[in-house]
Amino acid sequence: MAGYKPVAIQTYPILGEKITQDTLYWNNYKTPVQIKEFGAVSKVDFSPQPPYNYAVTASSRIHIYGRYSQEPIKTFSRFKDTAYCATFRQDGRLLVAGSEDGGVQLFDISGRAPLRQFEGHTKAVHTVDFTADKYHVVSGADDYTVKLWDIPNSKEILTFKEHSDYVRCGCASKLNPDLFITGSYDHTVKMFDARTSESVLSVEHGQPVESVLLFPSGGLLVSAGGRYVKVWDMLKGGQLLVSLKNHHKTVTCLCLSSSGQRLLSGSLDRKVKVYSTTSYKVVHSFDYAASILSLALAHEDETIVVGMTNGILSVKHRKSEAKKESLPRRRRPAYRTFIKGKNYMKQRDDILINRPAKKHLELYDRDLKHFRISKALDRVLDPTCTIKTPEITVSIIKELNRRGVLANALAGRDEKEISHVLNFLIRNLSQPRFAPVLINAAEIIIDIYLPVIGQSPVVDKKFLLLQGLVEKEIDYQRELLETLGMMDMLFATMRRKEGTSVLGHTSDGFPENKKIES
Amino acid sequence: MAAGGGGSCDPLAPAGVPCAFSPHSQAYFALASTDGHLRVWETANNRLHQEYVPSAHLSGTCTCLAWAPARLQAKESPQRKKRKSEAVGTSNQTDLLALGTAVGSILLYSTVKGELHSKLISGGHDNRVNCIQWHQDSGCLYSCSDDKHIVEWNVQTCKVKCKWKGDNSSVSSLCISPDGKMLLSAGRTIKLWVLETKEIYRHFTGHATPVSSLMFTTIRPPNESQPFDGITGLYFLSGAVHDRLLNVWQVRSENKEKSAVMSFTVTDEPVYIDLTLSENKEEPVKLAVVCRDGQVHLFEHILNGYCKKPLTSNCTIQIATPGKGKKSTPKPIPILAAGFCSDKMSLLLVYGSWFQPTIERVALNSREPHMCLVRDISNCWAPKVETAITKVRTPVMNSEAKVLVPGIPGHHAAIKPAPPQTEQVESKRKSGGNEVSIEERLGAMDIDTHKKGKEDLQTNSFPVLLTQGLESNDFEMLNKVLQTRNVNLIKKTVLRMPLHTIIPLLQELTKRLQGHPNSAVLMVQWLKCVLTVHASYLSTLPDLVPQLGTLYQLMESRVKTFQKLSHLHGKLILLITQVTASEKTKGATSPGQKAKLVYEEESSEEESDDEIADKDSEDNWNEDEESESEKDEDVEEEDEDAEGKDEENGEDRDTASEKELNGDSDLDPENESEEE
Repeated sequence: MAGYKPVAIQTYPILGEKITQDTLYWNNYKTPVQIKEFGAVSKVDFSPQPPYNYAVTASSRIHIYGRYSQEPIKTFSRFKDTAYCATFRQDGRLLVAGSEDGGVQLFDISGRAPLRQFEGHTKAVHTVDFTADKYHVVSGADDYTVKLWDIPNSKEILTFKEHSDYVRCGCASKLNPDLFITGSYDHTVKMFDARTSESVLSVEHGQPVESVLLFPSGGLLVSAGGRYVKVWDMLKGGQLLVSLKNHHKTVTCLCLSSSGQRLLSGSLDRKVKVYSTTSYKVVHSFDYAASILSLALAHEDETIVVGMTNGILSVKHRKSEAKKESLPRRRRPAYRTFIKGKNYMKQRDDILINRPAKKHLELYDRDLKHFRISKALDRVLDPTCTIKTPEITVSIIKELNRRGVLANALAGRDEKEISHVLNFLIRNLSQPRFAPVLINAAEIIIDIYLPVIGQSPVVDKKFLLLQGLVEKEIDYQRELLETLGMMDMLFATMRRKEGTSVLGHTSDGFPENKKIES
Repeated sequence: MAAGGGGSCDPLAPAGVPCAFSPHSQAYFALASTDGHLRVWETANNRLHQEYVPSAHLSGTCTCLAWAPARLQAKESPQRKKRKSEAVGTSNQTDLLALGTAVGSILLYSTVKGELHSKLISGGHDNRVNCIQWHQDSGCLYSCSDDKHIVEWNVQTCKVKCKWKGDNSSVSSLCISPDGKMLLSAGRTIKLWVLETKEIYRHFTGHATPVSSLMFTTIRPPNESQPFDGITGLYFLSGAVHDRLLNVWQVRSENKEKSAVMSFTVTDEPVYIDLTLSENKEEPVKLAVVCRDGQVHLFEHILNGYCKKPLTSNCTIQIATPGKGKKSTPKPIPILAAGFCSDKMSLLLVYGSWFQPTIERVALNSREPHMCLVRDISNCWAPKVETAITKVRTPVMNSEAKVLVPGIPGHHAAIKPAPPQTEQVESKRKSGGNEVSIEERLGAMDIDTHKKGKEDLQTNSFPVLLTQGLESNDFEMLNKVLQTRNVNLIKKTVLRMPLHTIIPLLQELTKRLQGHPNSAVLMVQWLKCVLTVHASYLSTLPDLVPQLGTLYQLMESRVKTFQKLSHLHGKLILLITQVTASEKTKGATSPGQKAKLVYEEESSEEESDDEIADKDSEDNWNEDEESESEKDEDVEEEDEDAEGKDEENGEDRDTASEKELNGDSDLDPENESEEE
């Protein structure tokens, strides 16, 4: 008995934005919690140690928030002027911050008054960081200098005066206690070594540098300034790897995801973009209400905190993993039942008879197999099927048409069923991939139901809709045809140009010949 | 009078524009807008009184302004004879306005003359002037600046009387004590100076951010038992940049108390403050604070010592547009300034835009915790052209000079002016009424600004927006631009697109072409425009074919169905017209006509039935089903067939001759009835 061949469902490429792992991952956050701060939020920093509190620097205060608290659990307000860049130490117990008046203050998380005050900068200190050995602090200021401070002695160790403009960002290497980098408004990013008295490396960013970031390995450096984010290879002596220009305003902050696989950049254009660090393509982007000044990700990307110019802090928490209760599944046959007899070797006189494998058929295929064509069509015209997988519906219609029974299958329907069919046509007729099949089907429907037109206002309305759609599509295609003409012309001019250039040569040649002749 | 917000120096948050009511009668409201124009408005009838543009208005914008006290001018007029100036008008008319500029000069402008009275430059400031205060009696002017100095000016001679360093950082605000012997100055800390000796009398810790406003709130000490030395026991008020608290301080005899005695809390940074001085102990101080978010908070408090908790306002005033029509979300209108009238019971509110503020007098009702005034200012954006403007001065300008006009002003200039109307005060907030709550109103603000932005979009912003959208791949931005229907707009935009964005634009269009015809038609317009406008550029591209190949193929594949589709469309049109026609006949059949038809039908029904049956049977033999249905549909054909068959069947030709004449008309309704 010849087996029934199931209908081949044509697959089409899916149009529109692709849903990638990244979109799923980065969309998996709850609606943001918004906290109003006293001024523009210039820095957000997460403590690297549990419970992963974060410090928010805004105006002249530093607030420390707990993971889920909406009220600050601690506030440092002993600043005479605007505070900048409150940063946690690696152990999460100390906090250092710069200030508009040129001071650098070191706080104990549990205390209130500063433990140390480093005086020495003459202008606002916009960036501070702890070095990898935990006992030194690096600071960069608007007086163009970068200083290294010793915490135990509370003394200045080194001063670098190599920048020629405000130093506005910097960070220390996580591995080497002597290395740190600073970015300045003089368009350069410099790497300093505490063991030498001058910079060991300098790269030219091309715009005032707003933010710098070192990869955990220390091999790659990311700098942001102007509309550009640039990635530099430090091991190759500061070679430019990639230059990214995806924002349309100044990029103000950078951040790495906890896995190190994604780079995030926030900008004054109110967007945060997520880049893959392998391809350096934008894989996702977030929108915010105001220009973004600061950005931080919590441990394991559990929380995204964004500080904006209007003083609003937006905190997004990851949705807790919905734990699916695994239903008690029916006990399946054990593995050995399936392999039973599989390795039986045929003896010489034995004849092996294979039991024919039962082919699994879709419901519509089963109907088609038994020539219940109307029923098969009904099945695929079910709304669940038409909306989710219109290609199945179209394939079945095509198959019926091939068999020459489409008219029969479509005939003999009541008002509701016809309107189902028409709905499907209206929804999908304008899709070029379905159009040839569906136009045919539409003609057949019209032919069949012409005698009863005008009896049901519902169906009439559907026909009217269909007519409107077809009219629009025709208009559209006419426009397209015109455009195609234009493009033909363009392509033609291109070819002709090649031709004319040849002609030009010859025509140039001719007069010369004539001259010679004359 | 306070020149509010002049001291702010944060570029991210531009402070309120310097403005002030004229003293005592509040007849005028002076406003120095960011484009460098000084405008004086009449508060009574909301008219532009004068407009003056300093010659240096672009280099040194006005940072603060202050009206000279009327008393001074009355006194001053006899002194004028030293200089040979023309006689000043009525003595109690407010005249002089002092303007501080960003470059450090101070201009004295006379509203009577309508021109510059004098300039105070020599020996003065070399940086932005932050605040100016007139001395009530002596005719001196005090100014402070970012250059850390305070300067005392003699206005008559335009010379510096004294100049001293006021702070370690910039001095942002000044205030003269009620008796005129002390001066308050504030940078970050607040200092009280003895004017006689220029020595510091008291220190106050101040705010975390630069103090933007200072004001004495009482003129008499609350405790009258002690002898009053002119300053001890007085309260004063301070507000700072980015600070939502207004602090009240008391000058005490002992120099120990360092913190504020009490504070008022408001919803946003104060930009303009006005108060009524309390004359005696029992009378409360009334305070009106205009915040950056456009609300006015009113406080009423008897100052009597220390209070730990910040006080909240007794009354909040907001103004919003009426929400009518489809865009029904009411829009908040920012209040720019507020001043108490001399009777202390009503308030002058200035609201709307800086370029065309509306001034209105509102009676105070202290029992209402919240007032929301509904005003329609939608069509009074443009400056009014009225003859009443006594003097409008245009700056003397070099013809070669290029003037850079700030972007936003002038946007509304084209809209037709109309007087502000709708005086209905919707102040009562009944509980359970269907008035929108403040939260909703504020929420609506965001949306509304968006909407407004959309409306305001002009052609010149489209290319920028489109370029930015293409670069950052911003879906919303692209939608905003690409979904325009205006062909002219599209053309202009495409014309102004930079060349390097053309290919990305084409790619974006390719993406959008494969959709529903509704939206795709618009994209074709764009595509056509790009192709026509940039044809030469495109034809020079070496890799044109690979660049546009996908686009071409896409279009080609879509157009393939054109013929079939047209065919289908023809069928559909016929069908629809039939349906509509039948509906019409159904609706419009008059009984008389019907009777006539019935009569005719009786005679021809049998025949035609037979005929059709015959024809059907024939057709079934000859052709397949489809042709049959086609015949059904093509009425005319059938008519002809029927006629032909009439002849073929060989019926009585004698009668047929007559019948045939009517035949055409008869068969039509007949066919229709069959279908039905």
